[in-house]
Amino acid sequence: MLQIRNLHVSIDGQKILRGIDLDVQPGTVHAVMGPNGSGKSTLASVLAGRDGYEIEEGSVTYNGQDLLDMDPEIRAREGVFLAFQYPVEVPGVTTMYFMREAVNAVRKHRGEEELSAGEFLKLARQKIDPLGMEADMLKRAINEGFSGGEKKRSEIFQMAMLEPKLAVLDETDSGLDIDALKIVADGVNSLRSADRSFVVITHYQRLLNYIVPDYVHVLSDGRIELSGDKNLALELESRGYGWINDDVVPQAAAGV
Amino acid sequence: MSFRRRPRESDVPAIADRADVYLERFNDALARSADEPGWLLERRKRAMERFLQLGIPSLKHEEYKYTDLSALADGRLLFATPPGGADALPSYAAGGASNLATGTGPQVLGRVPHGARVQSLAEALRAEPDLVQRHLGTIAAYDDHALCAVNTAFFSDATVITAERGAVLDEPIQLVFGDGPQGSLPRVLIVAGRNSSVQVVETYAGSGAYWRNAVTEIHAEENARVDHYRAQVESLDAYHTGRLQASQQRDSYVSSFSISFGATVARNDIGTRLNGSGCECSLDGLYAVRGDQLVDHHTSIDHAMPHCNSHQLYKGVLDDRAKGVFNGKIFVRPDAQKTDAVQSNKNLLLSDESEVNTKPQLEIDANDVRCTHGATIGQLDSEAAFYLQSRGIGADRARNLLTYAFAADALERIKVAPLREHFESLLLNRFASQES
Repeated sequence: MLQIRNLHVSIDGQKILRGIDLDVQPGTVHAVMGPNGSGKSTLASVLAGRDGYEIEEGSVTYNGQDLLDMDPEIRAREGVFLAFQYPVEVPGVTTMYFMREAVNAVRKHRGEEELSAGEFLKLARQKIDPLGMEADMLKRAINEGFSGGEKKRSEIFQMAMLEPKLAVLDETDSGLDIDALKIVADGVNSLRSADRSFVVITHYQRLLNYIVPDYVHVLSDGRIELSGDKNLALELESRGYGWINDDVVPQAAAGV
Repeated sequence: MSFRRRPRESDVPAIADRADVYLERFNDALARSADEPGWLLERRKRAMERFLQLGIPSLKHEEYKYTDLSALADGRLLFATPPGGADALPSYAAGGASNLATGTGPQVLGRVPHGARVQSLAEALRAEPDLVQRHLGTIAAYDDHALCAVNTAFFSDATVITAERGAVLDEPIQLVFGDGPQGSLPRVLIVAGRNSSVQVVETYAGSGAYWRNAVTEIHAEENARVDHYRAQVESLDAYHTGRLQASQQRDSYVSSFSISFGATVARNDIGTRLNGSGCECSLDGLYAVRGDQLVDHHTSIDHAMPHCNSHQLYKGVLDDRAKGVFNGKIFVRPDAQKTDAVQSNKNLLLSDESEVNTKPQLEIDANDVRCTHGATIGQLDSEAAFYLQSRGIGADRARNLLTYAFAADALERIKVAPLREHFESLLLNRFASQES
């Protein structure tokens, strides 16, 4: 589904990613962990198509297409979703209007009928309910005045509405209390399927107790220094990130 | 600084030798107006006299320093090129065309309920001569306002809207100012009697190069309510100058919403004088311009008496090389204790070359008041645009949505739903989408 090859990325001349290689197969969950400044969020941003990143080398192939050549909206319509670390407040546009435009843009791209207002509302209610949010949220301006937890749940709601093939979650767990974390994790788990993949970027192992990954990668100084299964995350939790660069154990990139 | 003109001859060199056209036309106009009452002819003559002294304001005039009206000096755009026909703006009034359209004035749309009248000048002079004499030309002073003086000297017909004491017009009356030789100098007088309520929408549209110079006067009696809207989508080759001046008695409420999307140069002077305690006014506007358009709003709120509130929210969207000007004057007179005045002008620049000059001008002579003002000039939030795009919304659509979102709180102040929806949709479809 996703192949990242030797990806080098800089911002304003400063190198952030220094040769990332990552393969994501359909139906798998990959956790990307690493210390602050290791390049995790840059990787997420580059996948979603945010401006301001210089691709110096390498390639990203998504379902056989050159992902880096697509505008952000085309990536979204092709099934790439980024849950933002810091969801943006957009006063003046309701979540309902926003999501209906988005869902219909994606449906149109897929050659499906656009949803009427009634159909949209029905679908939205279905998706919003399990997230412990009120349908009233739809009438509020996008993220405006939302608490941190509401913003993250709204991201999961948007993901559920858009039904992506590849979802990138950028520190969706940061700042959440345990109840909110469980809700977010349940939201993700309910979307897991054989043809949908997740890249879960997180600083903390805690999230991975609830979203159990198939693979764990450790990003450090712009490279994936270690890859393993879910036990790697536990090891990181107990030992921290400090040992990685000193004591690199090249693990068999088991099917990664 | 107040409306001080600079009367020195040297500031208006153009007018002395170009005024011939105005003078010549004025004699024709007087001949046409021969059967008007003496007081009106006197006001017209006085206005002409003042105009000849003031001239079309030049860029050296403090109140016009960004707004070049030199093309108006020779009178050609006013007298020789009337507005051409254009696609009319939709009807925002219930009930469609009214058969009250009268004289040589605008088309009138809407139902006029019992207790209210929409009349031509001639009709109003017959039916309510004292009322017309009391208010026409006395609310919008022309002594120091050249453009108002031109209108007062030359307007050929006026539309007089009156609401009797207690009459409630719960649907708007729409005045459509379109093409034709009478269209250049619209004149409207709205008199709302005690406890009455009136909503008026003025729409302006035309084609070709012309100058439309409109004046509307509002008199709100005690506890009356007047909601006034003007929707200006003139030809992009036209000059539009518009003056709206209200005079409010105690406990009255006047709102004005100025929509300015058209014209190459649009200048709006919007003011109210709060003559009694307990008055409230809300002067709001939305302008969206592109290309080489210029839009200028000058507002003036005169707090003469205590316990009055005023609100102002003007929002602007500027693209390409368009320019915006906002000047908001608030006078708080010595008697006007407990004044609460709020002014805000917010601008969204969509291009590097667009610009805005915004200036609050507060003169406060009372000590127990609250006056706040703020102005912002910003750009589209690229992070917000990316957020929308990352959900599959195209780049143009995202720009449209964010532009609309910027204007949303101003749009919400338009209480006439079809009018609001029309301009919402204009904003939402401002940038052509390449995809849909």
